[in-house]
Amino acid sequence: MGRPDLNRRQLLGGIGGLAIAGSFGFAALGTGADALASGADTRVRYWNLFSGGDGYNMIAMLNSFRKDHPDIAVKDSTLQWGSPFYTKLAMAAAGNRAPDLGVMHMGRVTGFSPGRLLDAWDVDLLAKYGVREQDFSPQLWNRGVIDGKLYAVPLDIHVQLCFYRKDVLKKAGLLGDDGRMVPVTSADEWFDVLKEAKGATKKGLQTIGFWNSDQNFQWWFFLAFYTQFGGTWFNDADTEVTFDTDKVTQVLEFLRRHITDGYSNPSFGGLASAEQFVNGSPFVWEGNWSVPVFDTAKVEYGATPLPPVFGKPATHAESHAFVLPHQADRGGPANEGAHQLAAYVIRHARQWALGGHIPAYRPILSTAAYKKMSPQNEYVSAMDHQATEPKVWFAGSTGTLAQRVGPIVVSSTMGSAKPETAARRMKSELTRLLATKNPMDGKTAAQGGTVA
Amino acid sequence: MTTSAQTVIRPARAKTAADTATVRRKQGFQHGGWFVAPFLTLFALFVIWPLLRGVYLSFTDANISGDSANFVGLDNYREALDDPLVWDTLGHSAYFTLLVVPCITVLAFFLAMLAHHIERGKWLWRLCFFAPFLLPSTVAANLWQWLFNPGTGMINHVFGIDTPWLTDKSYAMLAVVICTLWWTVGFSFLLYLAALQGIPDHLYEAAKLDGANAWHRMVHITLPMLRNITGLVIALQILASLQVFDQAVVMMDFLPGPEESTRTIVQYTLEQGFTSYRVGYASAISIIFFVIIASFAVARMWLLRKGEEGVR
Amino acid sequence: MTATQIRVSSPKARKPWTPSQILLTLLGTAVSVVFMSPLAWALFTSLKSETEAVAVPTHWLPEKWTGQAWKAIFETGNITNWFVNSLVVSVCVTSVVLLVSALAGYGFARTEFRGKGVLLGLVMAGLMVSPAVLGVPLFTTVQQMGMVDTYWGMILPQCAPAAMVYILYKFFQGIPRELEEAAFIDGAGRWRVFFTIVLPLSRPSLAAVGIFTFIASWNNFLWPYMVTNNPDLMTMPNGIATVMNSYGIQWAQLMAGGLMAGLPLIIVFVFFQRQIVAGVAHTGLAGQ
Repeated sequence: MGRPDLNRRQLLGGIGGLAIAGSFGFAALGTGADALASGADTRVRYWNLFSGGDGYNMIAMLNSFRKDHPDIAVKDSTLQWGSPFYTKLAMAAAGNRAPDLGVMHMGRVTGFSPGRLLDAWDVDLLAKYGVREQDFSPQLWNRGVIDGKLYAVPLDIHVQLCFYRKDVLKKAGLLGDDGRMVPVTSADEWFDVLKEAKGATKKGLQTIGFWNSDQNFQWWFFLAFYTQFGGTWFNDADTEVTFDTDKVTQVLEFLRRHITDGYSNPSFGGLASAEQFVNGSPFVWEGNWSVPVFDTAKVEYGATPLPPVFGKPATHAESHAFVLPHQADRGGPANEGAHQLAAYVIRHARQWALGGHIPAYRPILSTAAYKKMSPQNEYVSAMDHQATEPKVWFAGSTGTLAQRVGPIVVSSTMGSAKPETAARRMKSELTRLLATKNPMDGKTAAQGGTVA
Repeated sequence: MTTSAQTVIRPARAKTAADTATVRRKQGFQHGGWFVAPFLTLFALFVIWPLLRGVYLSFTDANISGDSANFVGLDNYREALDDPLVWDTLGHSAYFTLLVVPCITVLAFFLAMLAHHIERGKWLWRLCFFAPFLLPSTVAANLWQWLFNPGTGMINHVFGIDTPWLTDKSYAMLAVVICTLWWTVGFSFLLYLAALQGIPDHLYEAAKLDGANAWHRMVHITLPMLRNITGLVIALQILASLQVFDQAVVMMDFLPGPEESTRTIVQYTLEQGFTSYRVGYASAISIIFFVIIASFAVARMWLLRKGEEGVR
Repeated sequence: MTATQIRVSSPKARKPWTPSQILLTLLGTAVSVVFMSPLAWALFTSLKSETEAVAVPTHWLPEKWTGQAWKAIFETGNITNWFVNSLVVSVCVTSVVLLVSALAGYGFARTEFRGKGVLLGLVMAGLMVSPAVLGVPLFTTVQQMGMVDTYWGMILPQCAPAAMVYILYKFFQGIPRELEEAAFIDGAGRWRVFFTIVLPLSRPSLAAVGIFTFIASWNNFLWPYMVTNNPDLMTMPNGIATVMNSYGIQWAQLMAGGLMAGLPLIIVFVFFQRQIVAGVAHTGLAGQ
């Protein structure tokens, strides 16, 4: 390290100094490289949670929007679905750094502090771009209305489905004349179907994949079957828990039996169950968003709502909805751009239906093109018997309720807790939650919370 | 370098009065406040203030919106002590720590001995054992999530097994531990390596002359000489492992793992604060956790001091 | 580069291949293979097509080599954004940390001021505070300052590391006082002495602190994860974990992105191995 190094050292020092100065300058600008590079007049920042086939369809729709509206730059960001998404959206809104447009599940809107973390939609502006109340099912539209203001505009209805492979079921004699799976009306019938199907299944594959270790899916399946049973959660005033542990135990036993009777292999509980289905496993219970996955895999398959084994048909359903995350200075071209983009996507949701979702914008449902879509036409009826979470502040997709109760369902399905024990634990958890105050307004569910 | 953490608390005043007087006259070492001011400003804003704020918030029902909150006394602490998830998640962090700390210490020592004693290509061994530590935690976690993947993962394929690593509660935490070992052992490995290189050669040469074999030299020279560094490695690992978060959440896709078996106390605190918006309650859990961490640190200092007194 | 000088500086006669050396080398090779194979697996996965990556049965080498995943991550653009953000944040954090902790370490080691003992004790207590322990109150503090989703919100809370002050404090204590006293007698001011005498003497320690800070900041996930929501502003570790690309988990791309995040430091390590090893050992050993 002698004298000759000096020049090199000065050079390095100079470069280092420039790098440091540049970094500080960049940090001071504070917008990120992408925003700097964007030259469009209006920039709409749009956050969503769509990955997989949904992501593909959403991007296709965004790209056609971009082509039609070159003056509006849409910066879409896909965050990982689940609590990170809601956490980030809430924190961005609380910190006044929210995007112009966001997507969330309808069930989450009430607990998401409308007015505090969400801004209301300008209904006239929406109408200007072609989205009007009369084009939606009133029940669905009204889920987004709180205190007379519209906070969420529905995009779709999505449901949990029973996917089946036509080739395997045909071999097992379980396909009807119409090429669809034979109807099932009781648990015994369902297990008979599984037994037949198992005989026709290739070696090394499970008969049914149903996400046995996933707390979200298990919760949704539980919700569906418990609703089929006519089970209830709370009384009307939300003061008492009416959760029926006998019914719950039966539902949990039903779920557990898929593993104990050898139809489902716990090792292939997660994503692997879809891989197994593609490889020839006859059944998988999945969200309708798997439609494009199985379409791409060129599998010969059909999809029905979850089998009505406990009485009336019901399957878990939720809706994606557009929301305006709270911005202190909401307004101007970015806000109008958000309205325009949301309206565009809602009205062009036929593309979205490729992802298996049922469009909320009803004019699409009556088009011939939609009626021809398969298997969408096989399960479109599911929107008429939805199993949804109770309407309390702690409910909603990956909300507190699902996070607390979902793992208990899993523990029963996986066999680490007895169904009766799990049922009791679920009930005590519900009791506890009912007495808990909503952190955003300090009220319990019975005191009204934010639910109108 | 061999001084203990004791010196931490005691400012240096080894100089004689005469020296100090000279210096005083020159005013050279006076008014150092300006030197420490920038750091202390940042430190006050981002360490001390949040700590005090955490204490304050833990007595309120504050939520994430930053709006004003109500004073609720000890309610949050009472709830936390009754909340089974606080104990479960503390247990998970402790279980993780119990698995990781001994494994990492032994593995790091073993790797360091290897790298120290192989005479050729030292840089290569150092690179291989240390490189994983240079990866971001989330990258390491994604990588192991991919390796543990049931259908397409390499681990099950190589060993010809069918273990549901990430979906069964009896394996999930183990998977996180294995990822952590691979990812972080490099740091402790380097500490050991540096310590090994610091052992004077003449000790070994003398032992050789006395006819001690390699095993004896390790047991009677190497291990005793490494006692301090082992204490340091263990202490650093305990503190870091109790605070585990990154690997666990990323490997489990931000969920609490199968049957909530990998949810750590840090994860639970953040869920309470950011997912359930209960900033007050989350702060109370944070303070409880801080007390636990602090008592480990104090216990270590106490042990060190006791050890030193023993030597004296 | 400097590597040659280093080689020369540690001359060592080549020793013969004794049986024990052969055995140790074989063992070392085996362990290294185990340690490197996950990285190799990531690399090979990143060079497969997405469908081949998830094909059963799993195989090591791509049947058809393709740079498609690498091309895709650059085309979607997020990765390059995050890379720049990581660089900006890490450079800022490192330079601020170096400056303030060198000043503070010197101040604590060499100067007298009222309340020094108490303050030093406070700094030591700060060693136990991290975003993992007190993340929620730290977030609300930063939220109050209006710095959620800003670079400063990411940078500044990483700029008060008590550990670095402690390391430099220990180092400055070891510099002979006489050097400074001589300069004072010659009439040099305090700041001049600090910048022209003390700092040049402490270059290795500063390098250690700088390198370690840079690694820690580049790899930091938890704090940036808490404080940034806007994907435009995310750093590499945060972006990779929380923002998936819109086509689902695509393992080849995920592995390519991970390597992008990890490779810079690994390459730097190959070139500056000696300094980094010394740095990590130094920072760690100082805690002894």
